[in-house]
Amino acid sequence: MSKKMSGVLAVFEHVDTTIDAIRALKQDKRKMTVITPVPNHEIADEIDDTQSPVRLCTFVGGLVGGILGFTLCAWTSLDWPLITNGKEILSIPPFMIITFECTVLIGGLTNLVAMLFFSGLPNLNVTEGFDPRFTVDRFGIWVPCGKDEAEGVAGVLRSHGAEEVRFDAA
Amino acid sequence: MSTLTYKKVNEDFLSLLRNPTKAWYVLFVLDLLVLAFGAACWIYQIQTGMGAAGKMRPVMWALYITDFVFWVGIGHAGTLISAVLFLFRSRFRNAIYRTAEGMTVFAVMTAGLFPLIHLGRVWFFYWLLPYPNQRGLWPNFRSPLEWDVFAVSTYLTISSVFFFVGLIPDLAVARESATGLRKKIYTLASLGWRGTNTQWKHYNNAYIYFAALATPLVFSVHSVVSWDFAMSVNPGWHGTIFAPYFVAGAIFSGIGMVITLMVPMRKIFGLEKYLTDWHFDSMGKILLFTSLIVTYAYATEMFMAWYSGNPFEKSVFWDRAFGPLGWAYWVMVLCNCLIPLLCIKKTVRTNVWGMFIISIFVNIGMWFERFVIIVQSLSHNFDPWVWRQYHPTLVDVGISIGSFAWFGMFFLLFIKFLPAMAIVEIKEILPVPRKKARAA
Repeated sequence: MSKKMSGVLAVFEHVDTTIDAIRALKQDKRKMTVITPVPNHEIADEIDDTQSPVRLCTFVGGLVGGILGFTLCAWTSLDWPLITNGKEILSIPPFMIITFECTVLIGGLTNLVAMLFFSGLPNLNVTEGFDPRFTVDRFGIWVPCGKDEAEGVAGVLRSHGAEEVRFDAA
Repeated sequence: MSTLTYKKVNEDFLSLLRNPTKAWYVLFVLDLLVLAFGAACWIYQIQTGMGAAGKMRPVMWALYITDFVFWVGIGHAGTLISAVLFLFRSRFRNAIYRTAEGMTVFAVMTAGLFPLIHLGRVWFFYWLLPYPNQRGLWPNFRSPLEWDVFAVSTYLTISSVFFFVGLIPDLAVARESATGLRKKIYTLASLGWRGTNTQWKHYNNAYIYFAALATPLVFSVHSVVSWDFAMSVNPGWHGTIFAPYFVAGAIFSGIGMVITLMVPMRKIFGLEKYLTDWHFDSMGKILLFTSLIVTYAYATEMFMAWYSGNPFEKSVFWDRAFGPLGWAYWVMVLCNCLIPLLCIKKTVRTNVWGMFIISIFVNIGMWFERFVIIVQSLSHNFDPWVWRQYHPTLVDVGISIGSFAWFGMFFLLFIKFLPAMAIVEIKEILPVPRKKARAA
């Protein structure tokens, strides 16, 4: 369970004013979380230009799945060598189908687990830094800070067009 | 869509999740009655034995395998629309993909029942799973039937996961407006999604990879299903054209079913501004394109039967068109090759109810395609001494009709309890709210 944090939450109506506020906070070297009703490339590029590790996990998962699938076919065939359909014991073409299906299956499931892990899901206990309007049409910026810094942060957010700013205590 | 706002989209789609109306309950009860009839037929078959179904040598694959292939085919359009069209950045998919994905999951769940029904001794279903028997002998991984177990179960798993992942942000939207038990369920199902920049980053990345993994899967599943037939040496089945032929047919029937489901949904829920003529025009083009591929495949099959000089092949195809069940072949040609040609005209593609009627014919035609391939090839096999016509019984027919009710039950629950339209993705194609743009 994540520990409750204190900070300032600002609600914006427009994406461009949100981006202006993000730039100002970055200049102040503030850490922040931006909450949006839809994914937005402009905001994503502004706040974080790193690549998600999900793709690497998916690749590794797919690779492991493919190896497991082929190994299952090959090992079980060699374990009890029995010629069926007039095919070789190690019949590569038919085994490729099981290999492919296992690649997709394990790769897909790894993709899901990696996405949930890196997104911090499931997490049903987070209440700070969120407003139900962020699932409708408003953009939010959550700046974790103590009460002593809150007034300064709130001022920056208001000056860039936040329609509502509030301090959430821990 | 230009007059819509994020708030309006939320309001419109969340209104679909209000408590069911009396009409919905009536429809649901009728559906359950049909399902109960299908279940009773299956119970009777289990008690009596497989003789209760009309299967008799040489037609040992009949309506159940026809239904299996039909439902797997229906299950193709959802992942095609969600994955393939997503990778092509096709914007018309945003409004229709959720319904199509739901349809996919329920169709594959329906398809998955038929191998079990066909088994007879359903309690031994686990013999299909890859584990060794008491003598340490594993299943034969060179058999297309074992490939099918892997292909269909992988497809069901990945389609369900893809469906669920797409739902997460929309369930968070539903969570914020729900109350009572519904709020608790949506809170749990949305996993505490908030829409932070970190969550969107990993979500979007994962979504692309789901699409990339699901795309070859869509094409592989029906290829594998086609190999159930093509790997055998039965006349009418043993053809290299089967994989692309089945894949095109599956997309064709799947798009047909999407149109069949979306037209009444659009009318009942007043979704005219979200499901516009443009969507039906685009789906009409896919329908026409895949219909032409299917027609080409029918013609190729006939040509190869004649050109091969193989008397068994010739005989089977002559029987398909002019034998005792020849009417089924001509129903298939009428519904799959001729009627979809109407989609050449844009006025037809943009006529929503016209498209609905065409889609009904496509559904009928594609069911008959599978019936023709399976039943007519087996009933007119190599040896004239064993030729025998197939006659379905009430049990076969009841279970087949019951499968539509099984599918319908899940679909009715889906449109009432889950966001049947992709709220977030529809918002994505709307103009982003900007202060400067508004001032201009």
